Amino acid sequence: MAARIIRKIVPTGRAGAAQYSTGVRKVTLIPGHGIGPEITVAVQKIFEAAKVPIEWDEVDVTAVRGPDGKFGIPQKAIDSVNANKIGLKGPLMTPVGKGYRSLNLALRKEFDLYANVRPCKSLEGVKTLYDNVDVVTIRENTEGEYSGIEHEIVDGVVQSIKLITEEASSRVAEFAFQFARDNKRKKVTAVHKANIMRMSDGLFLRCCRQLANKYPNIKFEERYLDTVCLNMVQDPSKFDVLVMPNLYGDIMSDMCSGLIGGLGLTPSGNIGKNGALFESVHGTAPDIAGKDMANPTALLLSSIMMLRHLEMHEHADRIQNACYQVLKEGKSLTGDLGGTGKCSEYTNAIISKLN
Amino acid sequence: MAVRLLAKLRVPEIRNVANFSSAAAPATLSDFDVQHKTPVIRKQQLIPKAQYGGRHAVTMLPGGGIGPECMGYVREIFKYVGAPVDFEVVDIDPTMDNDDDVQYAITTIKRNGVGIKGNIETKSEAAYVTSRNVALRNELDMYAYVLNCKSYPGVVTRHKDIDVCIIRQNTEGEYAMLEHESVNGVIESMKVVTASNSLRVARFAFEYAKRNGRKKVTTVHKANIMKLSDGLFLETSRRLAKEYPDIEHNDMIIDNCCMQLVAKPHQFDVMLMTNLYGSIVSNVVCGLLGGAGLLSGRNYGDHYAVFEPGTRNTGTAIAGKNVANPVAMINASIDMLEHLGHHFHADLIRRAVNKTINVDRVMTSDVGGTASSTDVVNAIIGNIGRC
Amino acid sequence: MSLINRTLFRTLVQGTQHVKALHTSSVNAEKNVCYAPISAMQPNANKEGRIKCTLIPGDGVGPELVYAVQEVFKAANIPVDFESFFFSEVNPTLSAPLEDVVNSVAKNKICIKGILATPDFSHTGELQTLNMKLRNALDLYANVVHVKSLPNVKCRHHDVDCIIIREQTEGEYSALEHESVPGVVECLKIITAAKSERIAKFAFDYAVKMGRKKVTAVHKANIMKLGDGLFLRSCEQMAKLYPRIEFEKMIVDNCTMQMVSNPNQFDVMVTPNLYGNIVDNLASGLVGGAGVVAGASYSAECAVFEQGARHIFSGAVGKNIANPTAMLLCSANLLAHVNLHNYSKMIKNAINKVLKDGKVRTKDLGGQSTTKDFTFAVIHSLA
Repeated sequence: MAARIIRKIVPTGRAGAAQYSTGVRKVTLIPGHGIGPEITVAVQKIFEAAKVPIEWDEVDVTAVRGPDGKFGIPQKAIDSVNANKIGLKGPLMTPVGKGYRSLNLALRKEFDLYANVRPCKSLEGVKTLYDNVDVVTIRENTEGEYSGIEHEIVDGVVQSIKLITEEASSRVAEFAFQFARDNKRKKVTAVHKANIMRMSDGLFLRCCRQLANKYPNIKFEERYLDTVCLNMVQDPSKFDVLVMPNLYGDIMSDMCSGLIGGLGLTPSGNIGKNGALFESVHGTAPDIAGKDMANPTALLLSSIMMLRHLEMHEHADRIQNACYQVLKEGKSLTGDLGGTGKCSEYTNAIISKLN
Repeated sequence: MAVRLLAKLRVPEIRNVANFSSAAAPATLSDFDVQHKTPVIRKQQLIPKAQYGGRHAVTMLPGGGIGPECMGYVREIFKYVGAPVDFEVVDIDPTMDNDDDVQYAITTIKRNGVGIKGNIETKSEAAYVTSRNVALRNELDMYAYVLNCKSYPGVVTRHKDIDVCIIRQNTEGEYAMLEHESVNGVIESMKVVTASNSLRVARFAFEYAKRNGRKKVTTVHKANIMKLSDGLFLETSRRLAKEYPDIEHNDMIIDNCCMQLVAKPHQFDVMLMTNLYGSIVSNVVCGLLGGAGLLSGRNYGDHYAVFEPGTRNTGTAIAGKNVANPVAMINASIDMLEHLGHHFHADLIRRAVNKTINVDRVMTSDVGGTASSTDVVNAIIGNIGRC
Repeated sequence: MSLINRTLFRTLVQGTQHVKALHTSSVNAEKNVCYAPISAMQPNANKEGRIKCTLIPGDGVGPELVYAVQEVFKAANIPVDFESFFFSEVNPTLSAPLEDVVNSVAKNKICIKGILATPDFSHTGELQTLNMKLRNALDLYANVVHVKSLPNVKCRHHDVDCIIIREQTEGEYSALEHESVPGVVECLKIITAAKSERIAKFAFDYAVKMGRKKVTAVHKANIMKLGDGLFLRSCEQMAKLYPRIEFEKMIVDNCTMQMVSNPNQFDVMVTPNLYGNIVDNLASGLVGGAGVVAGASYSAECAVFEQGARHIFSGAVGKNIANPTAMLLCSANLLAHVNLHNYSKMIKNAINKVLKDGKVRTKDLGGQSTTKDFTFAVIHSLA
């Protein structure tokens, strides 16, 4: 209980950040698999050129067999994130087969990353059917439908449990409002299906309502999941910050990515009480790995999110502007955006725009 | 096999109990529902029934010869009466040597539970290509074939008021398709008769007789020659007859039976026989009643039912000439509607067909009329709802 | 063997001759130009040869839209009589009892239904909503939404044409929830093999009936390995029975992303309950919103026609601005279901004509016309 109170007073995730904000900040870097190493190198180059005071602590998270015989994340990586409280991660591939837990899930669990944030903003120069998207999806990341509690009661009847707790719901709602306040957003929309799941989504909704009272300057509204889906594809500008339980968040965040051109352009951050992990959520694309064809935008935008999280707004703005300019000019875009540029050309173009 | 037999033996008591408890419910069950709800042998995979919003999906195999045109007439009539049936048409290419189409047709019947078919041609005479009609029946385990032979007063024939029902074992006997050349010039063809199949078709026959208020069952056989095989069949039906004291049972040798049929057909009521004899007898009776174009036959298995014209001829010679008699296929479709529980629609069509033949006397040339196929169909459509 | 059983059934029910209620009238689509039904062909209960249909106006703009349907039916002289029930969860005192509505639908076999509002809480603490109760009572397990781009409706995407089939009696909507300790709520999601197979078969049979090529199963089996895994396995099994229809699987989040970026790749989709709800609404949004997409729910026996995306649109109540297109399309589908194909075509053509002319548009399609204007425009276009 005491811990809970303390956590309420001191906004989680920020605790580690403050003490380092003046000097050089150490950040754990997980390059990942497939195209991961190439795009992390691109980000590192840009950061170097922009003289961002960040020191990379590169670790490998390829699963190793732990003492219990199960495959898991190497202890070194865990220690590094625990010490640095912040990390940047490329795409990870989970080997198919029994005994392997999804590495993404393992990381999420290890560091108790309870909120997933994905800002989806239409980028000039990337042609999609929607040009006015500016939505942030905030997703509860630890419970809900993904609790993993399932069992077969009798042959052919499976029961899965969706778990909603007041603690986790308040935590993510609080984060959403804080995020909205810090990023000067106007409105938070709670996405739910409480008309059907009256107790569980009802609880989530109640937590959001309670928190809304604490943030009177931010407009709060409640919307049914289906209504949001319908309205989102018709007019995405109706929405600002969305906060929702796990499954809905999973679906909505991918859908919003679809609106702005795919996962290759969507940054993502996971906020936890033991630190924060920023990542690119696209796949490992093993078919183009090593060919200098990958698009580093998602990871770069994620790293910009990370800089903002570390309150290095100046650096963040510089890199972001450079990146947007290059995209807008559309000269050295990579293949997935319809260009012919290489990953390195794209990186250099951004570097040249830094000043 | 043993397990299967055991299962059969136990079934009747359980059945009775079940029926008492649900005495009120069956009022709304169609035959189609019953087949679905009470499978005796569990299908390898229990397939949900194809009935949506009151409409049934039914496989339609137009087959060869006059099949496609007759199916066209059926669809026209169904559209007119608004029968809640959606057809899934599967065409089978008769010239193909492989069985893909037939297998697909069988799959669709398994899915839908009900089919209506014309006669499927097997053009290939290669020994390894089995007759497609036989393959269909065997694969779906449709062990009983029912042919209801009732005279139409409007059709001029030598014998009046014939009302015979032929029930034929449909999956084994001479049609086992086991043939081989043991030494050069000597070919053996096997006839297979099993107790289990004999029992279930016999039970089917007696139940049918009881349900339809028939008085007598005649088993047709050749047990004087084929003492073991036909003997088993005969013995089974005799034994079962004891369970039905209200129904008279006698037996008759096939050659005598054919003679009696053309001489005194009125002595017969329900006739029960093995596969080949059934084929012979049904064609004889069809002839007595006015040819191939009037009667419809029904194939029943435990889970599936397929409806077809009574005599299995493709009628390739008259295809496309607008002279084929559409009545047989229309009757098959009526049987199908009855099976699905759409008695109202079935009744509408049946009355229209009867009026067309018996009162209006609009008939094709094969039964002594002068009308074309389309004339007959139009006359029937005209009569629907007006009689 | 079942024949034995059948005979026993038969003997038991002899005498209680059951006449199946006929809900169809007849029009010979090709030949008869005359639209008058043949009265003698109707079941004996109904002498005038008219069809009875249950009508649930619902909440929000429902009554206005249903009124539009009634107007059009009256104008087209369609032989359908409505048996109207006020049925509502937000207004429980005036609502007709569930049994009456269920009995009526079960008897008539067809129903046209506005949208029922589902409040977040229930006065009696019940977890099941009225909608769910109705579905469960009638076993309306399959919800079909045909999402199709309409002529001259301005949208970002063009030529969308997909059918979304949704299981709607189990899954997340089982209404099994409890608070194990204060602040911790467990919500059960139930997936059964029987219902999964049934919906999969429905989807494939529907695809066959509509001449479609591909069925996509939408799932999240990578996370919910048992539950959605069972659903997926059932679909795979059914797919084996349909060798001529392509079957593919897609994870729900990827599916939504593909839907907004490239909806034309989808043909028939089969989904468990919640995902279906999401995909339905998403797809409806792509072609113009809740006002233009028709849907239907099927049980083995009955069919209930309702809007594809269910929103009560309470802001528009009484303002005469709601778009009746979806409801009119529903009514046209209803007519087709009972074999009144000519009437069905007549209404559909009229709607298409009005949309194509583009003179009368409701607010959601960027126009200024009212619900009434649109309805009258459709009536004038009836040919």
